[in-house]
Amino acid sequence: MKLQDVDVAVIGAGPAGMAAAIKAKEAGAENVVIMERAEELGGLLHQCVHNGFGLLYFNQDLTGPEYGHRFIEKVMDTGVKPLLETMVVRLTEDRQIGAVNIREGYITFKPKSIVLAMGCRERSRGALNIPGTRPAGVLTAGTAQRYVNVEGFVPGKKIVILGSGDIGMIMARRLTLEGAHVEAVVEILPYIGGLIRNEVQCLHDFEIPLFLEHTVTRIHGEERVRAVTIAKVDGRRNPIAGTERTIACDTLLLSVGLIPENELSVMAGIRLDPVTGGALVDEMRQTTVSGVFAGGNVLHVHDLVDNVSWESELAGESAAKFALEEKPQKQGEISIKAGTNIRYIVPQTISGQRDVTLYMRVTEPEEMVRIKVGDIMTKGIRAVKPSEMLKIELPAETLKKLKDGTKEIIVDCEKRGGK
Amino acid sequence: MALENMFICIGCPLGCEVTLTINNKGDVVGFANNKCKEGEKYVLEEYRNPVRTLTATVLTQSSSQPLLAVRTNKPILKTILVQSMTILARTRVKAPVKMGDVIVPNLLDTGADVVASSNLSSWTKNEGVVF
Repeated sequence: MKLQDVDVAVIGAGPAGMAAAIKAKEAGAENVVIMERAEELGGLLHQCVHNGFGLLYFNQDLTGPEYGHRFIEKVMDTGVKPLLETMVVRLTEDRQIGAVNIREGYITFKPKSIVLAMGCRERSRGALNIPGTRPAGVLTAGTAQRYVNVEGFVPGKKIVILGSGDIGMIMARRLTLEGAHVEAVVEILPYIGGLIRNEVQCLHDFEIPLFLEHTVTRIHGEERVRAVTIAKVDGRRNPIAGTERTIACDTLLLSVGLIPENELSVMAGIRLDPVTGGALVDEMRQTTVSGVFAGGNVLHVHDLVDNVSWESELAGESAAKFALEEKPQKQGEISIKAGTNIRYIVPQTISGQRDVTLYMRVTEPEEMVRIKVGDIMTKGIRAVKPSEMLKIELPAETLKKLKDGTKEIIVDCEKRGGK
Repeated sequence: MALENMFICIGCPLGCEVTLTINNKGDVVGFANNKCKEGEKYVLEEYRNPVRTLTATVLTQSSSQPLLAVRTNKPILKTILVQSMTILARTRVKAPVKMGDVIVPNLLDTGADVVASSNLSSWTKNEGVVF
């Protein structure tokens, strides 16, 4: 295969990229390449040695490496070409890719279609403005995960974790099992940021103290972290004077959110959703640039890898279709808008012609709710939380109920018995 | 004298804080604060047999890959997770290891094996020239 003959180029070989590439190949695209800056396929799955992967997709409880392995084998079996240790540095509006690697230097080519699968990165200390000194020992939970699970170092002995995202809680358990002492998990919101099963199995199982409505207000230490000060926050998330307490520790882990990695998308002129931080897409996962599709955490941060795989398969299949038909598809014409207690919805536009799955998150936790999709569908749900993504299936049959010329559908999450 | 035990149900995002009451003979007297029947099933299991899959890493003798990811092939009692780690801390593996290979058989007489959940190849990482 010559680069000039590539039908579908997938950027990123994590769970999203692998699923997209496999599906593109299966959907009939002949020449599919997967471009990855690391030296192997699989992305972050290698360092996620915990279980809980694949419960939905494979109906099995797998670890990250096990989940990744199944896709790596399939990438090889289907004849997708991996282009490893190759970093895409340029993407243009007319789908020109520029990349560098140590063998060929700078390479450039124009595939018939592209899938963006660059995933996301962690928010770091710089995004938080925590006062104090700049000692060693402040790192993101994902970096600590790489140290402990791949490189073989435990980053500290007495650890405080800021943020109760899933990676943070999983690292609390992992570090405890490796002999470190986790002094506290500190969460600014009144509820945890991750899944309930992780609160129970990572924190409660090991009696790790969880401080809700608290934040870190100061980092102490010159060369190394010596302690952190935490304080209770008010309803506007401002620290309350007089509630400070100082916890001695040598390490502060940050598990304070993930940011879709969209520098290339912006370079290509793709429009982003300010809420998700990912591209605006239609139900085929096509971005605002024709022939460029996106799936997985680069589009919106998921809590389960199973959904990343499914969504990226859709992007891969659409990219294959685009490559085969060589005609620009239109972005959907009906916008899906977030209404009451909905933070965001993906896809942002639909055609109204096909079955669609809406992926969405709520703004506030609530019990006994009803999801209303315009006036065409309602669905009761017992409980919703910002940390647990909702999936609402909208069959084409239901979409037929839309009035002709509908331009917008508002999705609300209302309390049952209210209004 | 009845004894009350509190559990957080992980069955759905509600996370009910279910109270399980046990009498002095150890029989279940009742449940409180669960919003569905699934909560009772979960809580009974957590009371009688709280098990977890242990996932961790063991040291290898390979310079390019210092650790091998491992897991138990079935869940074990959560009360022995920490003790199990002392066994894994003493374990060293030599390449090649394939995913699923038994690393520690019958961990602490639980009947569960610790198996590899990643591969360890005997060759160093390939330079990966494709084109």
